[in-house]
Amino acid sequence: MKQNVKTKIEISDLKVHYGNKPALNGISFDVYENEILGIIGPAQSGKTTLLKVINRTLEFTADATVEGSVKLDGVDVSTIGDVYGLRRKIGMVLPLPVGLPLSIYDNVAFAPRTAGLRNKAELDEIVERCLQQAALWDEVKDRLNALGTKLSGGQQQRLTIARALSHQPEILCLDEFSIAVDPITTMRIEEVLKMLSTEAKMTIMLVTNLVQQAKRLANRTAFFLNGNLIEIDTTDVIFSENPANQITYDYVNGNFG
Amino acid sequence: MDKSKIVFHSIALITLVVVFLFFWYLIENTHTEIGQQPTANSQQPTADSHLYLLLPISLLAILLGVACAFYLEERLPPTNWFRRLIESEVAIFTGIPSLLYGLLAVEIFVSYTLGSSGQGWGVLFYAEVLTFIVLVMPLTIRTTQAALRSVATPIRESAYALGASQWQVLSNQVVPLAFPGILAGCCRAMSRALAAAALLMGIHTWGYTHETAISAGIHSRYVLLLVAALLFSTFFSFLKENPT
Ligand SMILES: Nc1ncnc2c1ncn2[C@@H]1O[C@H](COP(=O)(O)OP(=O)(O)OP(=O)(O)O)[C@@H](O)[C@H]1O
Ligand SMILES: [Mg+2]
Repeated sequence: MKQNVKTKIEISDLKVHYGNKPALNGISFDVYENEILGIIGPAQSGKTTLLKVINRTLEFTADATVEGSVKLDGVDVSTIGDVYGLRRKIGMVLPLPVGLPLSIYDNVAFAPRTAGLRNKAELDEIVERCLQQAALWDEVKDRLNALGTKLSGGQQQRLTIARALSHQPEILCLDEFSIAVDPITTMRIEEVLKMLSTEAKMTIMLVTNLVQQAKRLANRTAFFLNGNLIEIDTTDVIFSENPANQITYDYVNGNFG
Repeated sequence: MDKSKIVFHSIALITLVVVFLFFWYLIENTHTEIGQQPTANSQQPTADSHLYLLLPISLLAILLGVACAFYLEERLPPTNWFRRLIESEVAIFTGIPSLLYGLLAVEIFVSYTLGSSGQGWGVLFYAEVLTFIVLVMPLTIRTTQAALRSVATPIRESAYALGASQWQVLSNQVVPLAFPGILAGCCRAMSRALAAAALLMGIHTWGYTHETAISAGIHSRYVLLLVAALLFSTFFSFLKENPT
């Protein structure tokens, strides 16, 4: 692994319950600055829940309780007063594309506007840059004022990626972004992610059901199962012939269950 | 049916019964001079001016209902006791068919346009206003809450994830999406109020047949039926598995 890695997110003994039902059972690990961390694991393993704790959108689930701590740059996120500022540091791409009921332009300009940016020229620039990064610009540049919800599923997903980039986050979390996206566009977005990591120095957490995607992109990979972190290691080790746990090997090689 | 729901419904029901009895008492005590024709020099406003007051009041009650629903749905967690109590009351009130409110309104209206004089009409008029408020407000609260709830959580979550404040999420996402539903609910409530007002108009032009009715003993039977019907529908919403 790289030398002098700095810890960006420090998760310690994180437990999450929905009512009485556990979703995460005391997990601890660090996310390093500027790495791409792949998170894999079968359904219901708590991957989405983990992301929601980090940007504190789990607060909208009334019966969810969180124990343990998540520190971002050394600060416990649950104690941060300016939760909006915290969320602006984190770009979040949800599994099903959620187009806000706004035009394509307004979708991407939403976050900069809520942060107070009004300058039209700057907004135009951000919108173009983000749409290009999300590999969507060429398809929509002539109809920026059309409703975002009128785009195809894959286009909407790329729109949400553009939107997540619009507030120049330090951390980008992607939750199964490729569900609705065709393989060719997926490849293009993967290129963008690599570029964001190397050039924009973004920290990327990539939750994915496609283990090969983690293998292609991630520096390190974490394997989750039923709310437990089974193993986290460099991607090479996780995908090698001998990861620390047999079950990791089975999952990665598709003979799981 | 879970236990806390029964508790909240019971508390709601008890408060309703207490309020109902209190108003019943007030109304009964203003029935003293029933049978008198309204006199030309009396200080009572005419029936018409009452109606013209009732409709703007209903409109206000509807707007208040919308505000109430926003407060309950967006500011209070579903587990909050105040929210649960109000929701229980709303469930009971919306379970009552609007026809019953109409009949209740007629009963009060006839009493105050025909019956009492002097002090009496004031209390009765407030009782009438209350009937209209109860006719429109719970319905508005309920439909508005449903409209707000119909805005999918992921939409809110995505907006919040982009760093929007609650106000921005409401004004930019939730309200535009929920607006048609909220408006439909308001229209439905307003149509209830208008229909009740029309009923009162009809009764008014219909004339003073009420007097004869009272002497024929119809009045008390009418009241009895009305109370029974109210009770039944109240129990109906009380017993219903899923009131909200
Ligand atoms: N809003 C909720 N209310 C109650 N339980 C929930 C809620 N969201 C998730 N859960 C439960 O928490 C557990 C973890 O769910 P989570 O969505 O984090 O899993 P996941 O790893 O993202 O799964 P998937 O791959 O299907 O997206 C599951 O058992 C799920 O049923
Ligand atoms: Mg998930």
